[in-house]
Amino acid sequence: MISERLANVIRGELNLPDLKLEDGMLAREVPGWDSLRHLSIIAAVERDFGVRLKSLEVMRLKNIGELQALVDRKMAVG
Amino acid sequence: MVRDGETLWTRWNTVAARQPDGEAVVWVRAGEPSRRWRWRELLAAARGYAGWLRGAGIRHGEVCAVVIRHHAEFFPLYMGVEAAGAIPAVLAYPNARLHPEKFREGLSGMARKSGLDWVLTEEELGPEIAALATGTNATVRGILFPFGDAGGQGAARVDSDEGRWNASGGAADSEGPCLLQHSSGTTGLQKAVVLSHRAVLEHVERYGRSIGLRPDDRIVSWLPLYHDMGLIAALHLALASGVTTVQIDPFEWVQAPVLLLEQIAAEQGTLTWVPNFALNLMADRIQDDEMDGIRLDSLRMIVNCSEPVRAESHAKFVARFERHGLRREAMASCYAMAETTFAVTQSEPGRPPASMRASRVALAAGAARKAAQDEDARLCVSSGRPIEGCAVRVEDELGNVLADGAAGELVVASVSLFDRYRGDAEKTAEVLREGWYRTGDLGFVLDGEIFVIGRKKDIIIVAGKNLYPEDIEDDVGAVPGVLPGRVVAFGVDDAALGTETVAVVAETPLGARPERDALRRRIVEAGMAADASISTVYLVPPRWLIKSSAGKPSRKANRERIERLGSEAKEAFR
Repeated sequence: MISERLANVIRGELNLPDLKLEDGMLAREVPGWDSLRHLSIIAAVERDFGVRLKSLEVMRLKNIGELQALVDRKMAVG
Repeated sequence: MVRDGETLWTRWNTVAARQPDGEAVVWVRAGEPSRRWRWRELLAAARGYAGWLRGAGIRHGEVCAVVIRHHAEFFPLYMGVEAAGAIPAVLAYPNARLHPEKFREGLSGMARKSGLDWVLTEEELGPEIAALATGTNATVRGILFPFGDAGGQGAARVDSDEGRWNASGGAADSEGPCLLQHSSGTTGLQKAVVLSHRAVLEHVERYGRSIGLRPDDRIVSWLPLYHDMGLIAALHLALASGVTTVQIDPFEWVQAPVLLLEQIAAEQGTLTWVPNFALNLMADRIQDDEMDGIRLDSLRMIVNCSEPVRAESHAKFVARFERHGLRREAMASCYAMAETTFAVTQSEPGRPPASMRASRVALAAGAARKAAQDEDARLCVSSGRPIEGCAVRVEDELGNVLADGAAGELVVASVSLFDRYRGDAEKTAEVLREGWYRTGDLGFVLDGEIFVIGRKKDIIIVAGKNLYPEDIEDDVGAVPGVLPGRVVAFGVDDAALGTETVAVVAETPLGARPERDALRRRIVEAGMAADASISTVYLVPPRWLIKSSAGKPSRKANRERIERLGSEAKEAFR
C-alpha cells in the first residue's frame, strides 16, 4: 500500500494534488513523472523520509509499490 | 583523407585490419559485465547480419529504420546494414508513455516522407506497428526482428565468410548515401537529412582535428544514437578513426547519472559529449557516496552541445567534480546540427570556452556589447570557432549580412552541409540558399567566436530535445474543460535544471478547486501522451489570453503577461 505520506510527497513535487497513486503504477504512468523530474522526486522522498536511496536501488524498482517497500525497509533499519 | 571509392564499410575494414584485436565498442549495462566488441569479431558479426538482411530481401540503397533499445547487438546490426549496401536510419524507440497510435502515425508519416523501406525492431513493438507493412496502405516493405528466434543474431554467429560482404560494401561509391539522420523534433514531423559516405567520413576527420583526436582517445557516451551528437560524435567518429567508444544506456543514465563518471573512471575515458542539462543533473544529483573511488583525471574534454551553453552549468560542474580530478580546462563547447552532419563550431581543446558579460539592454536591441560593471548582464558562453570547412555569418530578417557584434540569425555553410530534406522541397527551399543554411538560431560573432543566445522560432528545448509549442497546444486544446484553441505553450528557463521546461496557459470556465486540480492533471496527461512533459500549468479564466493580430493567442505576449504577475497572482492560476 502506498502511504499517504509518500503519495503527498509525489503530489507535492509534481504540483498535482489530485493524483491517484497505486502500488502497481509505473513511474511513467504517473502524469508529469518524466526522466528530468525523476531524480528530483527521488530527492524529495529522501528528504521527507530522511533516508538515502542509491541510484542502482532506485533503477531496479519496478513500480511505486516497490518504492514504498524500499523506503519502508530503509526506515526500519533507521 | 577520404580515398575515392571509400565507404563507411571499407573504412571499418581498413581499421579492423590494422587493429583486429583492438576494442571498437564497449557496451555497458549497469551492474553487468560490459560487452567488449573487438574489431575482428564486430565485423564478423556485422557480415552475419548483412547476409541475413540480404536473405530477408533488403536490397542495395534501401532505407532501414532501426528502432531498437540499448542492445549489445545493435552495433554489428547497424554495421551490417552498411555492409549490405543499405542505408540505416536510427529512430527513437517509443517512450512507453507515448500513445501507440501516435507512434504508429509518426512512423508512417516518416516512412512516406523520408522513404523508409524496412523497419528493423524488437518483437515487442511488432504488434503495434504491424499495420505499416500490410494492406494497400502499407508504407514499408517489411518489418524485421533481427534479435528474435528467427533473426539474424544466430546468423551473425555462424558467418565467417570474410570476403563476401567486403565486396558488396565496396561496390557502393563514396558519393552515395550512407545514412539518413533526422533533425530533432516530433516523430513524424522530423525532417530527414541524407548524408553520403564522403560527407560523414570527411566530417568526422575534420571534427576529429578540431578536438585534437588521438589514437589513444577513449569516448564514453550515454547519448541516444538517434540524435546527431550520439550518432556522429560518439559513434561514427570513433568507428572511422579506430578509437574505442563506450556506450551507456540513456535510460539508465538518466536514472543514475553517476554511470557516466563511473565509466569514464573505469575505462579511462578521455572524451564525452553532453547537452547542457546533463551537467546540472550530474552536479546536483550525484551523491558523495556514489563517487567513492571515481577519478576523472583521464577526461580531457567534456563537450557541451545541443542546448544553449550556460556559464552557471559549467561553473557548477567544475565546482562539484574538481575534487575528483576533473580539470577546469576539460570543459568545452560545440555548436552542431544534423543538417551539417554534426559540428559547425568547436571550442579549443585544453581551454575552457570564452565567455562574455553582454549587456542585456544592448542584446535586446540586437547588439552584443560588453556590459558595464553595474549594468544588467547576461553571461554568454562561446561555442568556439568554426571548424575546418565551415563558416558562420549573422543575418538580419531581410537576409543582410551583419557585422561582428550584431545579433541576428546564425547562417552556416559547411562542406558537410546537407543538400536537401528528403521528401520536403518546400522546407528545403525555405532554409537552404546558395549553399548557406538558415539555422533559426539567434547569436552573434565576436573576435571569431560564435555565441548562440536563443532561437528565432518558439521551439522549446527540453533536455536537448526539441518540442514544438504548436503540437502541445493542439493536444492541450483538445482536453475537455479547456476552451478549444485557447491555449499557449512556451519554454521557461529553469536555471536549476540547466534547461527549459514547458509551461502551458489554458483558459477554462471551471472555478472549483477539485475540478481545476483534475483538469490540471488531464492537461499533464495529454502532454505525456504526445511525449511532451508539461511542468507548469496555469489555468486562467475565459478571455484572459491576449490575442495576436492574427486572432490566435500570442505566445510572447502571454508569456510576458504571466512573467509580470506577482507570485500571489501566479499561484492563483496554478
